[in-house]
Amino acid sequence: MSDIDSALLSAIDALQLRYVAALDGKDMSRWLDTFAEEDNASYICISDENLSHGLELGLMYDDNRARLQDRVTYITEIWAGTFQDYRTRHFVQRVNAERIDDWSLRMRSNFSVFYTPENTGVSEVLATGVYEDVISTGNGAPRLLSRKAILDTTVLPRYLVYPV
Amino acid sequence: MPTNPTLVWPHNYNEVPKEAFVRQDIYKEELERIFYGAEWHPVAHESEVPEPGDFKTARLADVPLLIARGQDHVVRVFYNACSHRGNQLETAPKGHKSEFECPYHRWLFSTEGELVGCPNQREFLPGFDRKDYPLAQPRVESFLGLIFVTMSPKTESLDDFLGDIKPTLADLMGGDGRLKLLGYQKVRYDSNWKSYTDNDGYHAPLLHQAFTMLNWQGGQGRQYATTRRGHIGFESALSVASGQNTLRDPSIIAFKGQDPSIGSRIVSLFPTFVSTKHLDVINLRFAIPAGHDKVEVHYAYFAHEDDDAEMVRHRLRQSSNLLGPSGLISMEDASIFHRIHIGNHTPGMAIFQKGVHDPAALETEMKQNDETGQLPRWEYYRSVMGFERSAA
Repeated sequence: MSDIDSALLSAIDALQLRYVAALDGKDMSRWLDTFAEEDNASYICISDENLSHGLELGLMYDDNRARLQDRVTYITEIWAGTFQDYRTRHFVQRVNAERIDDWSLRMRSNFSVFYTPENTGVSEVLATGVYEDVISTGNGAPRLLSRKAILDTTVLPRYLVYPV
Repeated sequence: MPTNPTLVWPHNYNEVPKEAFVRQDIYKEELERIFYGAEWHPVAHESEVPEPGDFKTARLADVPLLIARGQDHVVRVFYNACSHRGNQLETAPKGHKSEFECPYHRWLFSTEGELVGCPNQREFLPGFDRKDYPLAQPRVESFLGLIFVTMSPKTESLDDFLGDIKPTLADLMGGDGRLKLLGYQKVRYDSNWKSYTDNDGYHAPLLHQAFTMLNWQGGQGRQYATTRRGHIGFESALSVASGQNTLRDPSIIAFKGQDPSIGSRIVSLFPTFVSTKHLDVINLRFAIPAGHDKVEVHYAYFAHEDDDAEMVRHRLRQSSNLLGPSGLISMEDASIFHRIHIGNHTPGMAIFQKGVHDPAALETEMKQNDETGQLPRWEYYRSVMGFERSAA
């Protein structure tokens, strides 16, 4: 990580925290804002079981910016009022970051997500796994070009409303 | 014969006692009479283990299974337990091995299930012969690659079990069952298995705001139940959705397949299996009860062997986001499984209304959005469980 200075490390950690705050605050437009404006910005949530067997099927497969925007629409408009709501707390730990080129870097972080359903108030683990990101570090604050949330949790304890 | 739990079943066919969903004694009896009884249970599609040595582990309720393709290319289903002391043989959900070794006493089995090695054999019982100790197997039959098992010697042939539902099930698997696995979504629902099967596959489209928002109202189609077990089939045309105003990437609701007149097919088999072809998504759902209040569902998604790369890509992108535990038009279903299960702890009956013409009669042809399709299945359930129907 010697080629990433501490100012840049602070900036990518701040991006990570913006992502966590957006999801834990159920603020989907702020979640969308953590992704770059590029048309090919992507978020993919997939089980490690699928990935390790060369199976690409995801739980969420938003491989362009239009789908990221649609993800926000699902949650805020299409699904509104139909699900048992729950709140999450994401805990994220950067484990690696390395430069790809002058404008982007690769980051890997462990995550664990606790959830508390509104109707039970009992907190449990929703999923644990690793984020594999490509982050654009060009103009302005760093943003996600791609985030792949790879779940160790092969069998989810409930249905997913929000991205992880 | 085990003592039967008592439950007073109502006279009307359109009423189901809610306690049937929540009583543990009834669940225990269901294991014996249904899951380990004279029914066929789908556990895998052969395309999930395409190469010799490929395997998948599964469960029939609590019974562990090992599904493996042998070096002879034949797919077999074994009990996932060593033929020696019964130790669970394979632990991974999926993988590839040239043989299966039990770590306990190092018994070694071929991918065809033969015992091919065991150390210290000279100290075993006199006359010990490896040939007498292959991996044990349940009864197995398959339909276009869809593998079914049963633990009862009394179960009729799979052909008779499936009956009139076969054409819809075949069409749903691309006509010939030559499928290619895209991957899985797996989830546990806090729901009795019957609430899951009762509400997956079919329920009123009123639940789905997506249908309204995308100007995508279906309702034009056929629903039929085959008589004895109440397997349910649906075939329906889907109008072309005009979601452009709502969705920025309408590829999730695009229809690129060969079968545009019938956009949606669903087959629901007694007791828990649901399968669907919706737009270009081919989805087989293997549902495993895990107690009276939990059901684990493995959604397996497929392409067809004849698909070109672009079609595989399209199916992958559509399958990931459309159905399943976080799908655009199915996430709400999952929420209903949970809420119905909670509600089923209240006294009284669950009552079916839409399409019921006469509560004292069962029908086999229904409109697509009628609730009546479930009733033949409930009648079969009642008879298998030995619950007495009340007099009028």
